Amino acid sequence: MTGEGTEVVVIPCSGIGKPYGTVARESAYDLCDDLRPGATRLVALAKLVLGEQEARERVRSCPVVTIDGCKLMCASRLVTHSGGQVTHEVAVLDVYRRHKELKPEGIEVLNDEGRKLARVLAEEVAVAVDEIRRSGAPSGAGHA
Amino acid sequence: MTEYLETTADKFTFRVAVDRFYTQEGVWALRLQPEFPSRVRVGITDFLQQRSGDVAFLSVKATGTRLQAGDELAEMETVKVNLSLHSPVGGTIVEVNKALEPSPEIVNQAPYGEGWLAVIETTSWEQDRARLVDAPAYMAVMKSEVAKEVEAR
Repeated sequence: MTGEGTEVVVIPCSGIGKPYGTVARESAYDLCDDLRPGATRLVALAKLVLGEQEARERVRSCPVVTIDGCKLMCASRLVTHSGGQVTHEVAVLDVYRRHKELKPEGIEVLNDEGRKLARVLAEEVAVAVDEIRRSGAPSGAGHA
Repeated sequence: MTEYLETTADKFTFRVAVDRFYTQEGVWALRLQPEFPSRVRVGITDFLQQRSGDVAFLSVKATGTRLQAGDELAEMETVKVNLSLHSPVGGTIVEVNKALEPSPEIVNQAPYGEGWLAVIETTSWEQDRARLVDAPAYMAVMKSEVAKEVEAR
């Protein structure tokens, strides 16, 4: 399930209405489209909610990184509910606590600080993705 | 062991500890008797923490700060709002919960327990107490707030 060719599934929060959910999704786009294309695959949480077969099989067979927007941790819970295992989970709020200057605001469109927070988060997760592909688990795996 | 009043609205359950007094805004005061009868521990209610959302940062005034009842005791930033929390009593802050700095989320996890904010040496407890409400009265305030929010949806 790991190795340089391993594809890491990335599942961000699908919540709408709060900036933290938007940060989760923006960071996932940064990660999958820009920082680690080819090494990651973005899967919409809604597909797991709907029980889509391909999405379920992916989370069961690949390492999974979840990026949650709030303490309900819907992404992590749905991966487990779908029969997968979360290899690495991140909560936006935990990253924000380490970067107080990057207060996210805006829902459809993030402010500059929110965009930067999304980028910081994406860069942190990119490191975790590299470790997962190299060794199967990021150092300090679990909550970021 | 602390006993609670409880009410459920929609999918949310709110608890009110019966052993302390409350401001209308949702800050509680617990007298530390018999050991320290002139001291109160203060914190925020379960309702206030649930309504405000996950706490990102919390800044409590420093030990030694003198406060009048109603003065700002702490600033709280959550995923939803920035709040100013006001002291339920007058006096001097003698202790601030050190655990809040690395882990502000304990306010959400245990608002009546480990998530307390500060201990205040009171100067006029009986006078301040008269302006606070007990658990059943706070429960009524809270239910009224919940009803307003449900109606506004």
